[in-house]
Amino acid sequence: MKFIKPKDINNLYEIIDNIDRQYLLAGGTDINVQIKNGIIRNPNIIYINHLKELSGIEEENDSILIGSTTSFKDIIDSRIIKRHIPLIHSSLQNFASPLLQTSATIGGNIANGSPTADVIPILLALDAKLEICSKISCREVFLKDFFIGYKKNVMSNNELITKIIVAKNAEQKYQTFYKKVGSRNSLAIAKVAIAGLKKVENEKIMNIKLAVGSLNEYPRRLFKVEEYIMGKTLIEIDFNKVNEYLQQEITPISDLRSDKEYRYHVCVNLIRTFLNE
Amino acid sequence: MKCVKKFDAKPKLDGSWKFVDDYTYDNMLYGQLLYSKCHHGYIKKITFPSNYDLSEFTMVSPQDIPGENIVPEPVCDQPYMVDDEVMHYGQVIMGIAHSNRRLLRKFVNETIIEYDELPAITGIKECLENEENHFGEETTVDHTTNEEPNPNWIYNHNVYYTPHQEQAYLETQGVISVYNPKESTMFVLITAQCPFFVKTGVEAILGDTVKEVIIESPQGIGGAFGGKEDFPSLLAGISSLLSYKSGRPVKMVLERSDDIQITTKRHPARIELETWTDPETKKIERCRIDYRIDTGAYQTLSPVVLSRGVLHSIGGYYVPDTFIRGRMFRSNTPSNGAFRGFGAPQAFAAMEAHIDRIAADINVDPYEFRKTNLFRIGDEFPTTQKIVDENLSDCLERVILNSDYQKKNQEFAVWNKTHKDKKGIGIAVAYHGGGYTGNGEKILKSKIKVTIDKDAMVKIFVANTDMGQGAHTTLAQMFYEAIGHPREKCWVQIPNTSKTPNSGPTVASRTIYIIGNLLRKLAFQLKDELGFDNLEEYVKTHQGEFPRVSYKTFTPDPSVVFDADTNVGIAYKDYSWAACVNEIYFNADTCKIELKKSWNVLDVGKLVNEKIAMGQAQGGILQGLGYGLSEFFYKPGYGRMHGFTDYVLPTTLDLPEMNIEFIHTDSDLAKGLGEIPMNFPAPSLRNAFHNATGIFIDEYPLIPERLFKAMEEQK
Amino acid sequence: MKITFTLNKEKVTINVDPMKRLLDVLREDFNLLGAKESCGEGECGACTVLLDGKPVTSCILNAIHAEGKEVETVEGISKTKLGKLIMDCFDETNAVQCGFCFPGFFVSSYYYVKTDGEKDLMKIKRALSGNICRCTGYEKIFDSVMLACERSN
Repeated sequence: MKFIKPKDINNLYEIIDNIDRQYLLAGGTDINVQIKNGIIRNPNIIYINHLKELSGIEEENDSILIGSTTSFKDIIDSRIIKRHIPLIHSSLQNFASPLLQTSATIGGNIANGSPTADVIPILLALDAKLEICSKISCREVFLKDFFIGYKKNVMSNNELITKIIVAKNAEQKYQTFYKKVGSRNSLAIAKVAIAGLKKVENEKIMNIKLAVGSLNEYPRRLFKVEEYIMGKTLIEIDFNKVNEYLQQEITPISDLRSDKEYRYHVCVNLIRTFLNE
Repeated sequence: MKCVKKFDAKPKLDGSWKFVDDYTYDNMLYGQLLYSKCHHGYIKKITFPSNYDLSEFTMVSPQDIPGENIVPEPVCDQPYMVDDEVMHYGQVIMGIAHSNRRLLRKFVNETIIEYDELPAITGIKECLENEENHFGEETTVDHTTNEEPNPNWIYNHNVYYTPHQEQAYLETQGVISVYNPKESTMFVLITAQCPFFVKTGVEAILGDTVKEVIIESPQGIGGAFGGKEDFPSLLAGISSLLSYKSGRPVKMVLERSDDIQITTKRHPARIELETWTDPETKKIERCRIDYRIDTGAYQTLSPVVLSRGVLHSIGGYYVPDTFIRGRMFRSNTPSNGAFRGFGAPQAFAAMEAHIDRIAADINVDPYEFRKTNLFRIGDEFPTTQKIVDENLSDCLERVILNSDYQKKNQEFAVWNKTHKDKKGIGIAVAYHGGGYTGNGEKILKSKIKVTIDKDAMVKIFVANTDMGQGAHTTLAQMFYEAIGHPREKCWVQIPNTSKTPNSGPTVASRTIYIIGNLLRKLAFQLKDELGFDNLEEYVKTHQGEFPRVSYKTFTPDPSVVFDADTNVGIAYKDYSWAACVNEIYFNADTCKIELKKSWNVLDVGKLVNEKIAMGQAQGGILQGLGYGLSEFFYKPGYGRMHGFTDYVLPTTLDLPEMNIEFIHTDSDLAKGLGEIPMNFPAPSLRNAFHNATGIFIDEYPLIPERLFKAMEEQK
Repeated sequence: MKITFTLNKEKVTINVDPMKRLLDVLREDFNLLGAKESCGEGECGACTVLLDGKPVTSCILNAIHAEGKEVETVEGISKTKLGKLIMDCFDETNAVQCGFCFPGFFVSSYYYVKTDGEKDLMKIKRALSGNICRCTGYEKIFDSVMLACERSN
């Protein structure tokens, strides 16, 4: 195992430009468990938790910028987040555990790329973007375009997530919904997670965003379901159609934790409940 | 007096109270078990990783055993290490030691073992459905009447399954063995319930090579619940062998993933119940029970678990024509062992579900049905032991009152008609026989020792360990309250087999019931013999008589006669009784059960220490609720859980509102408390779900996936 | 690598593998045995310590995480006024059973009473939801913390 602590952010960019197969260590709550269980072997570890540029929550014009090594505790405690994006504040209350919230980082949760990652469905529903930087330049990628497969994303080896960007008005005038179904009320891995925003006018659903976790190789937006529902009243929604589109957009599996039939039906039930709220 | 504080609270908080892993010895090595990942087969080849210096390691295998490669107790059929044929996943192949703990871990993880695999039985149903897997001795209870069932009687027939349960003590199993070649002794410090079991185990593996084996408890034992009853003997055997071979102290502490996969669990059971109920009188007239347990690869403790399970399987009901058959079935899994309840939770899981089923069938309220069938004075157990009090009925009546069951039952039924979510309320009753079954205590011949020094310090020597249940606080309390002596001058000594007589294992809810009461008797005896009112004064004025050593041996009541072959007689002299009601909320979207409120009423006789008793009940009840609701250990196709991520223990946010009441506390007798809280919570949850939805689930735990499946099938 | 941090109010420097678990550093290099290993995955809280005043699971933190920061363990907390108050409360309620999880609960409770301290059962449950206990059923732990909240005001 090789361990490197970059002097500063520029040093970090140099290092990842030159090294192969590295793991960026922020809070370590995912990496250390994987190393312990032998899932990650002989890694090149690059420590980034000390780099001030990568953490913190700021307002900039119309956006909220969350540094990728910001801890979940800081996000939950943040007045800026509570004020502008209360969905993030409320849905992360029981994330992992209060002890893990102190160390775990938002960037780590995203970059680790688990299909069950808790923060991703929430950010997807808010149309979040990621700022991804390398030595040479930075670019912005919508979170919905970030993953391309199971634990695969669009970053090159010499890039890292530096910021998470959410529009200040992402939630404005929307009704929000978040439900995580786990095996218990704390310290639980999601079996199904759903985050949603909807705008209803004169009983018509004018706009709807639905994002789900633990139902695919990576958390996703249900664009086809959204498109079908938009513009309709509750009575106009045919749930057979919803099921049809849903089956095109989620591929739940059976694993140690749960069964695919259960996951599927819970997803349908929660969508229905959200629409009825 | 009743609420004497435990003496170990602050040092446990500030970190000064030591557990096995907190002790170090000079020149100490670390040990680890190399175990089989194959369920059944022969070892073809072991390949150690190449970039290590093998001379730095000490390794032991069966060839290194000077004594016998058989764990001597309880049933000697389990080897310490694989001799020839690997019989289960997790079976120990070698013990390996090295001075660097983390390097050792890597070494073991990188070791490759190749097997010639044989067919293996690994599933619970696979094991218990096939009669060919039955082995060992059958046990039966025959209380039949030779009468044919009346054709009018309502027949109910169901099969109930219960799963493994993991004790999940927070401190994993661990041991330090220290060989002293000069003195020819093996000193073993181990987190274990029964130091004398461990002593026998280490003596067996070492044979004549050491003169004395001494087992001592560390200051703290971080939970046990039965899981540290027999496995420690195997662990200590191997660590002692490593210490013997290397000539150095060896510390072996299991990592959680190893501990959860290879140590003993609660026996899975298959209990088939047939009952015939008179539709006029609503009384169950006849019952046939087929009780099967999955022992794992070896018997070890299973005959004893089976015996207790069978003796509790009729539940709290009098059924004149009963036949119970108990059998052991084997599988290629680690031997199952003791876990709080010891066969009784499985028994009540089946019978309490069955009672609600019959009640539903004949359209009687579950409470009324229980009232009609609960045994009364004059009734008898299937063993012919007479029922001598109606305390079980008192528990039931009290909990029905406390929970406002009848009103809630009606309210929920109305509410459920108009809501997609459902509310439910369920009952269960249970009991637990105190002490060893039948003649067990007679055979144990437990002996205690008490010394009184010149400064009036009283030292109590017992083999019973304090694993958190407060044994050392309450045993001391029972003695000094009886004899009249200040608490600060009366202490239970850390169990050490060379200093204390064998007062038996810390199991079977016997610590207060047998040993505590024995201490009380000794206290009264001393008081009588020496004729004092105040012991301190007496010691001051009779210095010549001290220090003084007194022994006492437990002699069972001669009227307690039990034939272990026919299961006839008095299986347990005294029973503790309990009843509970649980209220749940069922979320239709997620199929999850939310625990709302739990009312529990227990009769354990006199409470030696109210706060400790309440703590025991609170902890045990939550374990019982976990058993019924979330603790899922083995998934067919995926195997056993690997750690606390997936073995779901309740957290602080998963609790119901808890109400616990003790009744009949004015009794003179302190009865067993340790295990009974395990017997009633899960069955009442199952009944509450039926109450809420009309659906019976025949397996634990009541995880949402199972509930969802059952609801779909019903559609 | 040289790592410097404050441990129970004292500045310390050690030469250690930066990836070595903070739990092992505390137990092996400083002989502070209060924090325990139970699950090794951050799932039970038996290894809880304070890092810059906030509770963390030290079994999945690395030594490097302590660099330049303040680490407090039960050995240090138990000497503070608030720590002693909390210990008295746990003592009175007879909450302790096997005690293996207690250092972890002590740290989490200390943090809650110090930074919030409201006598609210739901808040207390949430603050302790990263700590698992198998013996007590949690009830008496809640009683102890409620009592501590009352007395610390």
